[in-house]
Amino acid sequence: MTKNFAAEIGDTAKLLADDPIWLVLIKVVGIFAFLVVMTLFMINWERKVVARMQHRPGPNRVGPNGWLQSLADGLKLAFKEDIRPVLADKWVFFLAPVISCIPAFLAFSVIPLAGEVNMFGQQTALQLVDLPVGVLVVLACSSIGVYGIVLSGWASGSPYPLLGALRSAAQVISYEIAMGLSIVAVIMFTGSMSTGDIVGAQASTVLGFAPGWFGLLLFPSFAIYVVSMVGETNRAPFDLPEAESELVGGFHTEYSSLKFALFFLAEYVNMVTVSALATTLFLGGYHAPWSGDFLNTGWWGLLWFIIKTLAFLFLFIWLRGTLPRLRYDQFMKLGWKVLVPTSLVWIMAVAVIRTGAIQQLSTAQRLIALGVVVGLVLLVSFLLPDKKVQDTKGVPLAGSGFPVPPLDLAVPKSAPKRKVKVANIPKDTAAVTTGKEAE
Amino acid sequence: MSLPAVDVLSQFLAQQPEPVQRVVDTVTTGEAIAFWVLGPLALAGALGMLFARNAVHSALWLVVTMLSLGVLYMIQQAPFLGFVQIIVYTGAIMMLFLFVLMMVGRDSSDSVVEVIRGQRLAAALLGIGFAVLMVGSVGRALTSVQSKGLAEANTTNGGNVGNIGTKLFTDYLFAFELTSALLITAALGAMILAFVGRDGKPARKTQKELVEERFQEGKRVGSIPGPGVFATANSVATPALLPDGSVSEESLFEVIEATDSSTLSDDLAEVAGTGHQPDSHALKGSES
Amino acid sequence: MLDPYLPLVLMFALAGAFALFSVTAAPYIGPRRYNKAKLDAYECGIEPSPQPVVGGGRMPVAYYLTAMLFILFDIEMVFLYPFAVAADKLGLFGLVEIVLFVATLGFAYVYVWRRGGLDWN
Repeated sequence: MTKNFAAEIGDTAKLLADDPIWLVLIKVVGIFAFLVVMTLFMINWERKVVARMQHRPGPNRVGPNGWLQSLADGLKLAFKEDIRPVLADKWVFFLAPVISCIPAFLAFSVIPLAGEVNMFGQQTALQLVDLPVGVLVVLACSSIGVYGIVLSGWASGSPYPLLGALRSAAQVISYEIAMGLSIVAVIMFTGSMSTGDIVGAQASTVLGFAPGWFGLLLFPSFAIYVVSMVGETNRAPFDLPEAESELVGGFHTEYSSLKFALFFLAEYVNMVTVSALATTLFLGGYHAPWSGDFLNTGWWGLLWFIIKTLAFLFLFIWLRGTLPRLRYDQFMKLGWKVLVPTSLVWIMAVAVIRTGAIQQLSTAQRLIALGVVVGLVLLVSFLLPDKKVQDTKGVPLAGSGFPVPPLDLAVPKSAPKRKVKVANIPKDTAAVTTGKEAE
Repeated sequence: MSLPAVDVLSQFLAQQPEPVQRVVDTVTTGEAIAFWVLGPLALAGALGMLFARNAVHSALWLVVTMLSLGVLYMIQQAPFLGFVQIIVYTGAIMMLFLFVLMMVGRDSSDSVVEVIRGQRLAAALLGIGFAVLMVGSVGRALTSVQSKGLAEANTTNGGNVGNIGTKLFTDYLFAFELTSALLITAALGAMILAFVGRDGKPARKTQKELVEERFQEGKRVGSIPGPGVFATANSVATPALLPDGSVSEESLFEVIEATDSSTLSDDLAEVAGTGHQPDSHALKGSES
Repeated sequence: MLDPYLPLVLMFALAGAFALFSVTAAPYIGPRRYNKAKLDAYECGIEPSPQPVVGGGRMPVAYYLTAMLFILFDIEMVFLYPFAVAADKLGLFGLVEIVLFVATLGFAYVYVWRRGGLDWN
């Protein structure tokens, strides 16, 4: 099934190269508007779905059924006071929201929204650019986006944002590895890094009926990508950077007004982008689940693309409504000790299987190759430390897993009276909230 | 009457972009514009890095330079190299720099004490040597090297990335495998320099160990009581009240307890309601 | 050849203009009623410490290790991409090379793991 891919390589790029400048401008503005609208929709949708999951009505006042709530919130934010703390670094504090906003929008440019369509009498592909290194654009943008987070936390001159920023940056860079590695197997099957080619490679069907999506073909890659995309966007259950119970608001604690809105926008645009990339890489992009239908041509592609992307976005909401937040050490453990090694082993396995298939190796040769890889994996895994032996000095646990009081506990007849010093309360204990204001 | 700028703009809007496959080995207008924007930007970044007072600002200027270089690679028909420059240098290496700078601390000033003897002389000599090398290589590149262009390599035989892959894994095999040795050294160095734990065992107790310890000691396992329903403030300084109205000693904050009560007289007055009461002017600051 | 990048440049310009406008306009649109408490760093109601950022503006060294490991795997990832694109052409020879490369880095990874460099508290 690989041979027919080569014919399609670069088709989208050729199609896009004929775009006149006005069409490019329309597409740029269109994609920008799409992302902003998606953000407004997503915030509302998230609130409504989470509310439904918790048996609440959710926002239902502003606009029809409350669907204009996030628009109203956005407008309200613009008229809020813009605060820059005295200890903040002026320029970096000012630029950090911009730095986090621009790459978020830029990353979406490589996503194919639909195949060949007719736009105002011009044959074109519904995609802004199709670079031969398309996938790298998303990764590059996400690595620049980290700067927005780190710098905002650093520039605020305040402890919570700095801690949030550090956590966030460490988290994003850890999960970026897993994300980047999960893409490798897809590239191996496509033989190209361009997003247009990757979608083109998934057009055919396998076994006559199942869609030839990489999500089915390369399921481990797909699973790793989905986990790492949630980590990459700092969303629940991986929303440690903004763990409200620990860090107030994370890196944007000190931000208000439109600057805060930009961080919010960037977060949701990033969510849309990683979902769209997941659609592109693993769910056949704009292709319908079946092939050879008129539903698979032209503008219909946009419908499939949006449905698939919304499915991923729903997954984000669902996760948020379901799972509790991970602890930081659990989270880093998942990233570095599970996702990265699994990815590497899986990539090597795919490379071996694929090379075997292409080279028409004999069974003996294949077995030897497989043996070498298995041997290396075993060698590496033998070096890994064993699971720690449970020490027996721990708290005695009952079957339920909760610590229980000893069975022979004697209940005292009356609780011992505590001596309470009430006399000096107002003198020595006082609220210090406003501090030196009176000085 | 027509303005020249409008003419240029209309020509620009009317032009049809070139097909991708066309072999372009001369400098196009777009390339020239990009160069004259990015070149000065890269230079400004380098100068900014030298002259910025704050170490983090220096690092940011360097990021500008690296980004400009990445984009310059892209317009010179090396998209893979350009994006890798952004991902690896800007995304990873400069992030490491930033982490290190933040590790040193925000307000720490530059040390002006020279600890290495003959530092200035060595720096000057190396600087001059590097300048000579640069002038030599750039001069050679400008005079005796024939530019070839990557248009052919980028369109045939699997395109830009495919050709890099083929070259890397055949002609430059040795260099590639050496990279892995370099990376191992880096991991080793990072562990030796930055790792604080003892071998095999982290220096501090894990969260699990801490939890078990707390249960074993039999101390309070939950959180200490907060201000409560009848509190007048939600500050940590306000003690929690027990059901009989007395103060829960567990909720008292050691630092505030240890503070001399005279330094807190203003706050006491405020909580007791005898001091200056907030009114509608309270929200107005000095700047309005 | 700039043409493939022109849309990217336009997108950059649009997003940049939007973001810069928002950031610049924010102080002028909103009200301006500052007071000292507002401009202080937020520390949940208590008086902000005079030395603001954690530990005098310092951060734990463990983050440095994470960043270093990130560089390591980032470079590995970047090398895997050209391999993946050219994998079919390189055949068995390329496969052996990349397995060796990944295995070599695998040893570095195992070393860091065994020393406890991947453990967080």
